[in-house]
Amino acid sequence: MIDLQVLTQAVGDLDEKAILTMINDFVATNPSGEDAQKVVLACQQGMAIVGELFEKNEYYVGDLIFAGELLSTTIDLIKPVLSGVATQKVGSIVIGTVEGDLHDIGKNIFGSMAEAAGFDVYDLGIDVSPSAFVEKVKEIKPQIIGMSGVLTLAIDSMKNTVKALNEAGLRDSVKIIIGGNPVNEDACKQIGADAFTTNAAEGLKTCQGWVK
Amino acid sequence: MKTGLTKLVGGEDKMDSKYYATWEEYLAEHPELEGKPEHAISPKIQKYEDAMFVFIMDLLL
Amino acid sequence: MTDAVAMTNERNQIFRDLFSGKTPKRVPISNPATQDFAIQYAGLDLAECQWDLTRLEPVYDKFCQDFFTDTYPGGSIRIPSHYQILGSTPIVMSSSGFMQHPEVVGLLAEEYDEFIASPYDCIVEKILPRLFTELNGAPGKVAMALAKAMRAQSDDLAYLGTIRAKMNAKYGYAAMIGALTEAPFDFVADFLRSFKGISGDVRRYPDKVAAACEAVLPLLIKKGTLPSPGMLGYTFIPLHMAPYLRDKDFATLYWPTFKKLVETMAGMGQNVQLFVEQDWMRYLDYLYELPENTIMRFEYGDAKLVKEKLGKKHIISGFYPITLLQTGTKQQCVDKAKELIDVLAPGGKYWFQADKSVINFEAKGPVAENMSAVLEYVHENGTY
Repeated sequence: MIDLQVLTQAVGDLDEKAILTMINDFVATNPSGEDAQKVVLACQQGMAIVGELFEKNEYYVGDLIFAGELLSTTIDLIKPVLSGVATQKVGSIVIGTVEGDLHDIGKNIFGSMAEAAGFDVYDLGIDVSPSAFVEKVKEIKPQIIGMSGVLTLAIDSMKNTVKALNEAGLRDSVKIIIGGNPVNEDACKQIGADAFTTNAAEGLKTCQGWVK
Repeated sequence: MKTGLTKLVGGEDKMDSKYYATWEEYLAEHPELEGKPEHAISPKIQKYEDAMFVFIMDLLL
Repeated sequence: MTDAVAMTNERNQIFRDLFSGKTPKRVPISNPATQDFAIQYAGLDLAECQWDLTRLEPVYDKFCQDFFTDTYPGGSIRIPSHYQILGSTPIVMSSSGFMQHPEVVGLLAEEYDEFIASPYDCIVEKILPRLFTELNGAPGKVAMALAKAMRAQSDDLAYLGTIRAKMNAKYGYAAMIGALTEAPFDFVADFLRSFKGISGDVRRYPDKVAAACEAVLPLLIKKGTLPSPGMLGYTFIPLHMAPYLRDKDFATLYWPTFKKLVETMAGMGQNVQLFVEQDWMRYLDYLYELPENTIMRFEYGDAKLVKEKLGKKHIISGFYPITLLQTGTKQQCVDKAKELIDVLAPGGKYWFQADKSVINFEAKGPVAENMSAVLEYVHENGTY
C-alpha cells in the first residue's frame, strides 16, 4: 500500500515523476477497490494543498492548470481498479463558457478542481447557447450550473441563460455560479445568479457549501 | 537565412531556413539574374520574401 | 474644422516629445474603443462589416467625429476573410461576431527539438498546417489557399489604409506607424504550445522552453522591426504569460529573451510600447531595467507605486478602468480620469490610455456618453 501522506505531499508539490511512479506501482499490486478509494482521497487532499499554495501566492494559475492535468492523468490510471466500487460523488455540476465567448482556461481550471473535489463535472465547452444549457440540465439534473466568460458580452449571455432556465421551469432546482473577468456583485444581481467568483478555488468552496 | 539580426543577439544563426532567402542566397540559386539590374530586382524580390514572413508570423500572433 | 495638417504636425510633435522623454505641451490621448465598437456604435452588423469593408468609411467618420483622440482609433488585424480562406482554428469568429482566440495547440511537446533547430521551417512544415486546415492537404490546394489568403489580407489592409488616410486628412491624427511582435515565451505559448501546454512544459522541460525562446527571438526581432527605425511609431508588444508563472520560472524562462527583445529594438532606435496585461506588480523591478523611455501601458496595478518606481525612467500609460464607463456616472468617470492624471502626469512621461480595449457597444448603455466625456475632459485638462 502506498504511503498516503507521501502521495498527498507529492500532489501538493506537483511532483509528477513521484506521483506517477507511486500510482503505477500501486495499480500493479492489483489493489482492492477500497484501497484505491483511499488513494483517490489522498490525491484530493493533495489538490487542497495546491489550492492553499495558490491562495498564498506560492503557486500561480500555470501551476493550477498543471495540477489539473496531473490529477486527470492520475485518476485515469486508478480508474481500472476503482471499477465496481461506488465512488462517492458529492454532486454534479454543468459548466460552460456562454454564448459568444470562446475563452475557457478559467472554466477548465475550475472544472479540474471540482472533479478533484469529488464532483461529477459536465463540461459543455465554449460558445454555449442558453438552450444547450437547458437541455443538459434537463438530462443530468445537476445541483449546480457554472457559467464562465471573459468578454463583457458574456454578461448578457449569462442573463439569457438564466432566463431560459426560468422559462423551462428549472431555475429553482439548481444553484448558479458565474465566473470570469467581468463578473462582480452587480453583474450577479443583474443576471440572477446565486454567486460569483473570479477565483476557481473560491468558487469551488462556494459549491462545496451548497452540496453539504 | 542570414538576416544580420542574429549578430545583434550574439547567438548562433538560428534563422537558417529552407523557406527564407536573403538576396545573396537567392542570387546564388538564380545565376540567370547575373548582369541584370540588381538595384531594381533585389529590393522587389526581398520585399515579397519579407511580406510572406510578416504574413506568416502574423498568423501566429 | 481647424487645419488638419497643422493638427497632425502638432500631434506628431507631442508624440515625438513624449517618446524621447521630453514633456509635451499636453497629455496625449487615445480612444480605447475598437473597430468592433465603432461598427456597433454605427448601428451596423458586426459580422457583415468585417467582411464587407466598404461599409466602414461612414462607421469611422462617425467614430472619429464623436470621440476625441490624438491617434487613429480602431483598425483591426483580425479581418475574417483571410482567416476563413485558410481554415483558421486559432482565430475564429464566435456567434457574437467577435474574432477570438480559443485554446489551440500548434506545436506538440515532442516537436520542441525540431522547432529549436529551425523555428521558421517548423512553422511552415508543422505548425501552420496543424492550425490552418486549408494549409494541410494536396500541394496544389495548399498553394492556392495561401495565395488567396495573402491576396485577401493585402486587399483588406490596403482598403482599411485608404479609410485611415481619409480620416487622418480630415481629423489631423498623429501619423504613427506600428509593428507588432511578442515576447518569445508568449509566442511559444499563445498559438504553439497553448496555455495548458506551456504550463506543463515549464515543469517538465524547462530547458527546451528556454531554448525555444532563444531560437525564435531573431524572428520576433525581425517581426517587430519598423520599415525605418527613425519613423514616428513604435513596436507594440502585448505581454501575456508572466502573471501566470511562479517568480523563478519568470526569471529563468520569460525574462531573459523578453529583455533582449526590448533592448534590441531600442538599440535600433525604435520606441517600444508594452501592453502590460494582467498583474505585473511583483515584476516592477524587472520592468525598471528595460531601456529608458519604454512605453508601459498597464491593465492592472497601483498607479501611484508604478509612477514612483518607473515613472522617472519610463513612459507610463493605462490604468483607466473601462468597466467604470459601464457602471459609473459621468461625473464618476471624469473624476477617475482626473485622479489618474494627478498621479501620473506630474513630471511628464504619461500618455492617457485606458486599461484595455472597449469592444462591445450597448445602445441603451452609458459607455459611449461616458467615454466621450472622459476623452473631452482629458483633452481640456490634460496638462503635466
